Amino acid sequence: MELRYFIIRRLLLLIPTLFGLILLIFFLLRMFPDTYLVARYINPKSSVPVSVQIEQAKAALGLNYPIFIQYFFYIKALFTGSWGTMSTSIYTGPVLSGIELYFPATLQLAIFATILSIIIAIPLGTYIGARPNSIADQTGRVFSLTFYAMPIFLLALLLQLVFGKNVIVGNPLGVLPIAGKFSFNAIGAIPPPWFNASTGLTSPTHLPLLDALIHGDWALAYSSFIYLILPVVTLTLSLLAGILRFIRAGMVDSANQEYVKTARSKGVPESLVIKRHIRKNALIPTITVLGLLFASLLGGVVVVEEVFGYYGMGMLSLSAITNVAIYGVLGTTFVFGITLMAANLIVDIAYAFIDPRIRY
Amino acid sequence: MPVKKRHPKLEDYSHTLRLLVKNKLALVGMVITIIYFIIAMLDVVYPRYLGVSSTNSLLAFGIPVSVTPVGPSFSHGFAGLLGYTEMYSLQFPLLPISLAAIKFDMGYSLFIVMIGAGIGTLVGAIAGFKGGYIDEILMRVTDVFFSVPFLILALAFIFLLGRYIIMAVYALLIIWWPIYARLARGQALYIKSMKFVEAATASGASSARNIFSHVLPNVLSPIFVQISLDLGTIMQLFAVLFFLGVISDPYFPELGNIINQGQNWLGAGLWWPVIIPGIFILLFTISINLLGDGLRDVLDPKLRR
Repeated sequence: MELRYFIIRRLLLLIPTLFGLILLIFFLLRMFPDTYLVARYINPKSSVPVSVQIEQAKAALGLNYPIFIQYFFYIKALFTGSWGTMSTSIYTGPVLSGIELYFPATLQLAIFATILSIIIAIPLGTYIGARPNSIADQTGRVFSLTFYAMPIFLLALLLQLVFGKNVIVGNPLGVLPIAGKFSFNAIGAIPPPWFNASTGLTSPTHLPLLDALIHGDWALAYSSFIYLILPVVTLTLSLLAGILRFIRAGMVDSANQEYVKTARSKGVPESLVIKRHIRKNALIPTITVLGLLFASLLGGVVVVEEVFGYYGMGMLSLSAITNVAIYGVLGTTFVFGITLMAANLIVDIAYAFIDPRIRY
Repeated sequence: MPVKKRHPKLEDYSHTLRLLVKNKLALVGMVITIIYFIIAMLDVVYPRYLGVSSTNSLLAFGIPVSVTPVGPSFSHGFAGLLGYTEMYSLQFPLLPISLAAIKFDMGYSLFIVMIGAGIGTLVGAIAGFKGGYIDEILMRVTDVFFSVPFLILALAFIFLLGRYIIMAVYALLIIWWPIYARLARGQALYIKSMKFVEAATASGASSARNIFSHVLPNVLSPIFVQISLDLGTIMQLFAVLFFLGVISDPYFPELGNIINQGQNWLGAGLWWPVIIPGIFILLFTISINLLGDGLRDVLDPKLRR
């Protein structure tokens, strides 16, 4: 079957998964007692009796309908953008606009880390996997095992300790800032109109680096680039370690296959054998685990945002949890789920591109 | 005199163990894991070995002094060997509190992984063997669990259940069975098509008998590998939950909790409150990964010699 049909089929398969995800979020919402959801609509000082107020709030929230009808109401609410409101220490207002403000930072960290680790992992994994048990291979294995096993918060703190500015006095490596998105010195005394001083966010994309480039503010662009290094390096190292493990295993595995022997015996140059016959087949199992690795990367983003004070959706979610903002928690969980679904979609399509057998 | 023959299954296990010991890295991993188990058990058998009678709260170790925590040195006896940390204006010796934390870290991650693996394997084996709509429902349910990143899902469930330690355990239990269910289902589908299951069915074995005496024993070896790899992952997740401050128990002996409090000293250039408990986590996760990789090589019938 053509690739086109495969992609269409895969896109259609997204629909049941999406409704399953909404069902999970809805389940989380409805597991809270009704009183919990109704409480915010009750005004004890009002002249209307509280019992009447409770009934009114229940009717407004649709809590009197059967549960499956409520599910459809919830789907409608999600698709029409009424995701509820939240009030936390870092953001107060509608959940959807909060996510719009903070999601770009999360996505930026995840995408930078993914691209960087793929760019590094493929040539490095090829080099290492083609020389099993050499010194390079042993070093690579120690590296990938250590960073794969290291909790991401430990890695982040370690990098802060080694490369953080003013963390250890007299450390020649300590040149990078450890917290925030950019230096406020780069903004200047009179902030530009596209900078919102109260939220500390820039418009239109809410990514300081991109916005500064769009508006041609080189000082801010440089500053936000410097602040981006440590968070991205942390995520990259942990993702890279995972990918490297699988590429190396795949390379060693496919190097023993019969078709590699055939290729060698018919006189294909060694570099081509490695590139076309071994590496191409080693990438297939790697891509299958890429979805899982991306899931743990998204978890890592939350931790990295917390450690480096890089405010994104992870911080929004954490603040919603500590401030008991139900709709904030559910909204961010939903968006994290959507992100992972999109990532899995891309992984599957990449899989079909690389492996010509996957056409059904 | 006839040589006493051992049970073939026992012979198989000892062969597996011999192969595992031959692999140097796996041996190192196994030894360190066993040391961690001993440390955890020591606290149960002889609770006073850390110098305090109760290790369920870090408060028992607290020393009320208001100086900057000192680093690792030999001049403060056994307790001060790895330096001190400070939390909420009390000082804590890092070596004993890390050792006390190992018990909880190991105990809870073992509990979560074992229960999760038990439930997941059973559900997956039944669904894979029975097929039909049970299988379809299971697959859709696991799809939903896999559509949200683990940490985020754990956070959401902890938010739902309440921000206590035991709720964190339940939350991790809820999210950690689908991975085993999928693994067991795939394996059960494969075993279902084997001739010996067909023979058993033909000679009148019920599906319960088939599942318990044919499917489950053959599912176990990949499950064991997954368990050993997941122990490290769960320990990390558990530490992360404490590190993020989602669990509201400031004096619970947990390595992530200790690091969370210790990171306040990072700005002052003190490395030991973070690095020392970090090494305790890292050593465990590395060794359990080495053990898991070794187990996979040994249990894989293709690589087994």
